[in-house]
Amino acid sequence: MPVRVVTDSVADLPPQVVEELGITIIPLNVRFGEEVYRDGIDLTNEQFYQRLTTSKILPVTSVPSPGTFAEAYDKLAEETDEILAIILSSKLSGTYEVARQSIGLMKRKCRVEVVDSQCAVMAEGFLVIAAARAARAGASLDELLGIVRGNIPRVDMRAAFDTLEYLRRGGRIGAAQAFLGSALRIHPIITMKDGVVEPAGRARSRAKAIDHLYRFAAGYSHLEEMAVEEAACPDDADLLVERLSTKFPKERIYRSKTTPVIGTHTGPGLLLVAVMGDK
Amino acid sequence: MKQVNAISGQDLREMFVAATGWLEKSSAEIDALNVFPVPDGDCGTNMLLTMRSTMEEAYRAPDRSVSAVSQAMAKGALMGARGNSGVILSQILRGLAQSFAEKESFTAVDLVNGLQQSVTMAYKGLSNPVEGTMLTVIKDVAAAVQAQVSSDGGDLISVMESAVNAAGESVANTPMLLQVLREAGVVDAGGQGLYVILDGALRYLRGEMEQMRFRKPQIIVSEIHATKLPQMIAADEVPYGYCTEFLLKGEKVKTDKIRSKLEKKGESLIVVGDESAVRIHIHTLDPGEVISYAASLGTLHQMSIRNMDEQHQDYLEMQKDRAPAVDMAIITVASGDGLADVFNSLGTSAIVPGGQTMNPSTKDLLQAVESVPSDKVIILPNNKNIVATANQVQSLTEKTIEVVPAETIPQGVAALLAFDYEANLSTNVQIMKKAMSGVKSIEITRATRSTKIGELKIKKKQPIGLLDGDLIATGKNNADVLDQMLAKLDLDKVEVITIYYGADTKSAEAEEISSRIREQHPQLQIEVVRGDQPHYNYIVSIE
Repeated sequence: MPVRVVTDSVADLPPQVVEELGITIIPLNVRFGEEVYRDGIDLTNEQFYQRLTTSKILPVTSVPSPGTFAEAYDKLAEETDEILAIILSSKLSGTYEVARQSIGLMKRKCRVEVVDSQCAVMAEGFLVIAAARAARAGASLDELLGIVRGNIPRVDMRAAFDTLEYLRRGGRIGAAQAFLGSALRIHPIITMKDGVVEPAGRARSRAKAIDHLYRFAAGYSHLEEMAVEEAACPDDADLLVERLSTKFPKERIYRSKTTPVIGTHTGPGLLLVAVMGDK
Repeated sequence: MKQVNAISGQDLREMFVAATGWLEKSSAEIDALNVFPVPDGDCGTNMLLTMRSTMEEAYRAPDRSVSAVSQAMAKGALMGARGNSGVILSQILRGLAQSFAEKESFTAVDLVNGLQQSVTMAYKGLSNPVEGTMLTVIKDVAAAVQAQVSSDGGDLISVMESAVNAAGESVANTPMLLQVLREAGVVDAGGQGLYVILDGALRYLRGEMEQMRFRKPQIIVSEIHATKLPQMIAADEVPYGYCTEFLLKGEKVKTDKIRSKLEKKGESLIVVGDESAVRIHIHTLDPGEVISYAASLGTLHQMSIRNMDEQHQDYLEMQKDRAPAVDMAIITVASGDGLADVFNSLGTSAIVPGGQTMNPSTKDLLQAVESVPSDKVIILPNNKNIVATANQVQSLTEKTIEVVPAETIPQGVAALLAFDYEANLSTNVQIMKKAMSGVKSIEITRATRSTKIGELKIKKKQPIGLLDGDLIATGKNNADVLDQMLAKLDLDKVEVITIYYGADTKSAEAEEISSRIREQHPQLQIEVVRGDQPHYNYIVSIE
């Protein structure tokens, strides 16, 4: 019985990958006022960004309930003896804690290990994909833990923001707050380091910001995975994919939209590139 | 005095319904306290939503035994837990339910056991339990309840009183235990929420339902004042005008009507109450308007108006003084409040006033170098005539000095923007020099005397234009000069034009010039910034 892999909706995994590799996704929640939606399930990306820009109430996000995790674990436990959950940075969200606590609520007996990915979006997604593939190939849970931990330093990302306002509102801005309050219009570039948001650069124009993302990914000597994600700016993403296709096969670049939970903290206009590889 | 020796399942449910209503009244304030573990300002709302789910499920209990009701509540909390605080709350309720299993009603001794179990569950749930949070509060409550029962016996009202008192003290003490609270000058939000829930339950037991309708839970105030604002500030803490709160007493007051009337007057509107008394809470820019409207409906009581922008301004001031967290400092030379703001906002540690015709002395620069807390200092002179002065500073200080020889304000800004937080000093100097070379600078000023340079005949006081320091254009007015100069540049490769207008220049003129350029070159990003610089009517950066 292969190990089953669980992750959260923030990993932004494309649906076909989820299906192909049999990954279980636990949704975080997005809340507008007192209306609660499950990330990517009750609210599509299109509906969400439409609402984000028109709604008077700003959305907030919350962790999945322990019951959601426990139910999912129990369901998988019918088919396997070992479960691996790879969860977004514990410094950005309490989801990691909930995923761990929920083990105690399981009705079935099954070994569950939870790993803090120290990242989010497809950088987290790559860890999940690599683990799910290895699990299919017959790797044990202990072997998978080694694989994930070995891959954590090999994933990285850069994100160009239109505004840091949403990140600030949501309280996840970290050291990137040095970019706030600029008297000039700048396009901030953000990365994640040790699980927290960090500033990576600032550009005076959107074109320069996109160029920054390109140079970041193109600077790798060896690339295994690449993803370009966007929040309501598909044209910019197309442009970036086109440029990156000289460095990495275009058909292997995952192209996705960030989920509502990520969108809540970034706002529209986010463009990011995530990679797994060696510099 | 009223005594209660046992509580039935039905009473347990009603007790927590009252507690949920009580929590609802202060959930927004609890949101505002929220700085730990993630300051996302929704702790109160999350606890409230968790309690609502808890109580919905409580009504689905198969019978009215305390066992069935508490089990149902634990299930509702578990499935509906929102946020970190909601999750801990659900653990607490699970603890109670485990202890109340098989029981028709519960006594003080059962409560003691239940709370002990809650503490165990809550701590067990977290891989890294942090003191100074809800965890500490529930632990203190459990200890106090145990002490009360062993000394005074089984009256549940006295027991709950001791629980609420202990919770209040424990919440007030949270800043002593958790640094992030101490720095923000707040108590723990989750702990406060727990206090309010216990207090609501106690008030129900005392039969104070009527009074609860018109009162609000007490928010425990930290006695410690914020030493620094939380590194990350939460959404609901972003102030907006005046927080205006009061009680309106009248006859046949219609809450719906008040709500719809006030909805457009501000944000975070709360209108609660009945025909004779209504509590109104709103964040508004014009409290006068709200108050005169309300006064036309009845009498006003418990009036409170707080300026929330004051706090926000303090925050912005602190932002301003905050240099990027690096071991390197950057010192720039600039004149004019607007330019100073620009450099400050981009992470300059110190600004030395100076520029054209007002070159600072080596001593001025040295003082600035000594004043910053870093041992490595980069100087941006931003003027040709100041570069040499800046180069002398190194011989006068033990600190390591690098001069990035920006000769204009646009070069200085470009260099500063390129500063890399992670790179070392020498790499940064390289990056900054490179960025500096990618920008063109136009300066427009007045001729100090009549002269002739090459083909250009210049009259005294006539507008003249310099491109990277070379006089290349003159004209009848500023716009004319700028047009001529832009015509000489290849704007196809340009992305951003920033126009800093001077102290003697009207913003309307600057806007007019920029909208004309925008019309002619729609692909460009054009930004007009008040520079307040003396001497130059315009400084234009072309990137």
